[in-house]
Amino acid sequence: MKHKYLIQKCLEYWKKIKPRGIQPMIMLVFSAISVSSMLILGVVMYFRFSDTSREEIIQSTQKLMEQTGENMEDYLVSMRQISDAAYYNVIKESDLSGQDNHIQRGMSLLYEANKDNLRSIAIYNNYGSLMGAEPVASQKEDPNVTKQDWYKQAMAEMENMHFSTPHIQNLFDDDTFRYYWVISLSRVVELTDQGVPQQGVLLVDMDYSSISRMMTQINAQNNGQYYYLCDGNGEIIYHTQQMQISNGIFSENSEKAASYKDGVYDEIFEGEHRKVIVNTISYTGWKLVGVIPYSVFTRGMFNIRYFIVMLILLMAMMMAAVSRVVSARISRPILKLNDSVLEYEAGEQPEIYIGGSMEIRHLGDSIQRSYEQIDTLMRKIVLEQTERRKSELDALQSQINPHFLYNALDSLTWMIEGEKNDEAVFMISQLAKLFRISLSKGRTVISVRDELLHAQSYMNIQKIRYKNCFTFRMEVDPEVESCCTVKLILQPILENAINYGVNGMDDCGEIRVSGKKEEGRIILSVADNGIGMTEEEVRFLLTGSNRVRKHGSGVGLVNINNRIKILFGKEYGLAVESEPDEGTTVSVCIPAVPYTEENAKTLEAGHSFGAENGGLGED
Amino acid sequence: MKNSKKMFILTEIILAGMVIIVAFAMFQEKIGEERGKVSVIIQNSDDNQWDAFKYGLRMAAQDYQVEVFVVSTGGTLSADEEREAVEHEVDNGADAVIVQPVMGADIQAMLKKVKSRVPAVLVESLAAEDEQSEKLPYVKPDNPAMGKALAAELLKDYNGRLEGKTMGIISEEEGAAAERRQGFLEALKDKGIRTLWTVSGVSSENEEHFLEMQEEVDFVIALDDKSLTMAGQEEASNNLHGALVYGIGNSTEAVYYLDTGSTRCLVVPDEFNVGYQSVKEAAESLGHFFRKPQGQTVSYTVMRRDTLFSKENQEILFTMSQ
Repeated sequence: MKHKYLIQKCLEYWKKIKPRGIQPMIMLVFSAISVSSMLILGVVMYFRFSDTSREEIIQSTQKLMEQTGENMEDYLVSMRQISDAAYYNVIKESDLSGQDNHIQRGMSLLYEANKDNLRSIAIYNNYGSLMGAEPVASQKEDPNVTKQDWYKQAMAEMENMHFSTPHIQNLFDDDTFRYYWVISLSRVVELTDQGVPQQGVLLVDMDYSSISRMMTQINAQNNGQYYYLCDGNGEIIYHTQQMQISNGIFSENSEKAASYKDGVYDEIFEGEHRKVIVNTISYTGWKLVGVIPYSVFTRGMFNIRYFIVMLILLMAMMMAAVSRVVSARISRPILKLNDSVLEYEAGEQPEIYIGGSMEIRHLGDSIQRSYEQIDTLMRKIVLEQTERRKSELDALQSQINPHFLYNALDSLTWMIEGEKNDEAVFMISQLAKLFRISLSKGRTVISVRDELLHAQSYMNIQKIRYKNCFTFRMEVDPEVESCCTVKLILQPILENAINYGVNGMDDCGEIRVSGKKEEGRIILSVADNGIGMTEEEVRFLLTGSNRVRKHGSGVGLVNINNRIKILFGKEYGLAVESEPDEGTTVSVCIPAVPYTEENAKTLEAGHSFGAENGGLGED
Repeated sequence: MKNSKKMFILTEIILAGMVIIVAFAMFQEKIGEERGKVSVIIQNSDDNQWDAFKYGLRMAAQDYQVEVFVVSTGGTLSADEEREAVEHEVDNGADAVIVQPVMGADIQAMLKKVKSRVPAVLVESLAAEDEQSEKLPYVKPDNPAMGKALAAELLKDYNGRLEGKTMGIISEEEGAAAERRQGFLEALKDKGIRTLWTVSGVSSENEEHFLEMQEEVDFVIALDDKSLTMAGQEEASNNLHGALVYGIGNSTEAVYYLDTGSTRCLVVPDEFNVGYQSVKEAAESLGHFFRKPQGQTVSYTVMRRDTLFSKENQEILFTMSQ
């Protein structure tokens, strides 16, 4: 429970300190990758080095053992040669009872030549009596050699020479109170005593110290690795811890080693994993055994381990610093870009940072262009909104043009005073229709039928006012009447046609309104046969805003054009054709959108009719 | 300071700390490779009775990776000489001392003082026969048991019938010999054998044919190596009036007299183990001042002429011959 709580706490802490910025993240990832790479490299290097070192130790041990084995064999061969020389050159050649003491002299010569390695040479007959010895020494009172191992071994296998295991020499009386540790080489020999052949045993006692010295030399390295010598049964001949083994302080797997053939073996002895190298000594069957505990392999590796760990730590320190510099360098352009974007978001107008690598430069450039486009669009939207509000205000103003109302009411006054009641009634009804459609319950989009009715009412009033000095005709396809249009777009055009076109003409002025549907569009044209305009004036008509209005409601064609474009899209609007002294035709182009409540509301909500927007469907 | 900078500095500090720890561990390992020095102060260090003991010291030094120096002492040390020798060794940088104590309160106090500086191990006997002395680690032969074993061999030779027999006892004055004497006499209590004389602290160097001048007895009992070799020598020279020598010894000389029949029975303490275990105790105490002192008694072997060259006895002879 406590454990889980601890893990949870650790996870929470990690979430808290987990890097969120790009630089710490790059640094962390970079450091983690480099440290793990170094760790893997370190471990691989360590194992590689460890294997090589292990192989080298084993090989050098094998070489040393081969060398020592050869030395030992040379030594044993020399002992055999002494035995052979004593037998074939001395004993066989002479009679024990000989007066010339040939045997003693021969043995003495052999002993003198080899006394560094020899303890003694002795001949015993088949009853165990001493027949000769060198160096000459007094025999012990009753050594009973026939019960000694070397004698028994020789007698048991007469044809062979026998090497004993090390033992205390128990033959001669040494008044220096010393006891010698020897290895006995014994063999059965044929003695001649007074011409009678008999069996005897030739004993060559080798000084154990010669073997011991050889073994001590190779055991000089006190690093845990050691060598020992045992016979074919596993009985220890030399061991660095011989007495400890006898006392039970230490133990050795010598019996097992004695059963091995020459080679390298892996074994676990008393829980210790070790390599055992076995080399057999010729003639004797002795085994020279090298033991390398695995701790020897690892002991030398401690410093290497520390060294590798230290190297990894130092590299990690360096990599942390390098990764910090590298991550700062990589992330600096991104951070600068981010900072400039944050400033922009905070409402300032900084230059968006463009720098660093190609990708980041592209990103910065892109962001800057996006912001510029957004700015342009925003300005445009604001402008359009302003224009729209202005146009709507203009339209509202045109609904209640006081001048027009004043003229109409003045005409009515005169009619009533002149008792032209029918005409006055007609004019009042036309005026009522005009205002009803002008208001249209506050709507902007009305049907073409209503717009035409409005135009008709307006022209009826103007005709009365201008005393029918011009004619007015309306030729509109009936299918056009059920479509949508912006309200009050014909009235300003008609007003212009009267004021600038046919006004002043003597009864021959003509204004004609036509309507038709062409390729999904509705074309409403107002044509007059008035004074017309020059090309320059026509060009200026839809773009200029400084034109001084001479007459009319003040609602310019520019505004009508704008209203159409805002509501229906840029591809729609007005077109003016004019010839001086010939007349002027102003065409209104709007999409053929069937007039329904739904379509009218959609258009009023500002969704312009256009192909790119999906638009409003036609029936 | 920014969070990332803090983390960076913290990481660098932690890594630097780890580098210092690893460097310290490397340094410690090199220091650990230095071997401890153990000084050994024994009476008459050049005497061949110490051969097996010294071999034990050498073997343990090899096994426990320490250097052992045996202080050369020409003869028997007095309490003052021993104290000076111990202090001299400690002052000269000995990391531990192994001391064969001379009986006396001064030595005990001195050893306690030394123990507060370096580990001290007693060998062969305790500094004094009290509980305080046992608070020091020691390795010694089982002296009373050896005395009893010698008595048992004597009884065995005569089927327990020693009535009317007489004996003379020769040994060193104090220490191990006193314990052996006590054990020996205790085992022969009420067996009818009489002790005609007991002599202590005599050596052939200062008293030639001293034993010859003693009253005639059936058995001469020598309870230490020096006394035994002296008795053996006298017997070989037929100066003991036919008395049979039984004794405790641990030199090749003592064995020689058994081999030649001058000595009837020899009890041999395992001096190899005394040397080995004392160095082991000292080596294990190095750097462990609060280690509980441990006392050990080692075994002994009874040797007879007919079994002198048995495999086990040859090994004991091997240690004496090194």
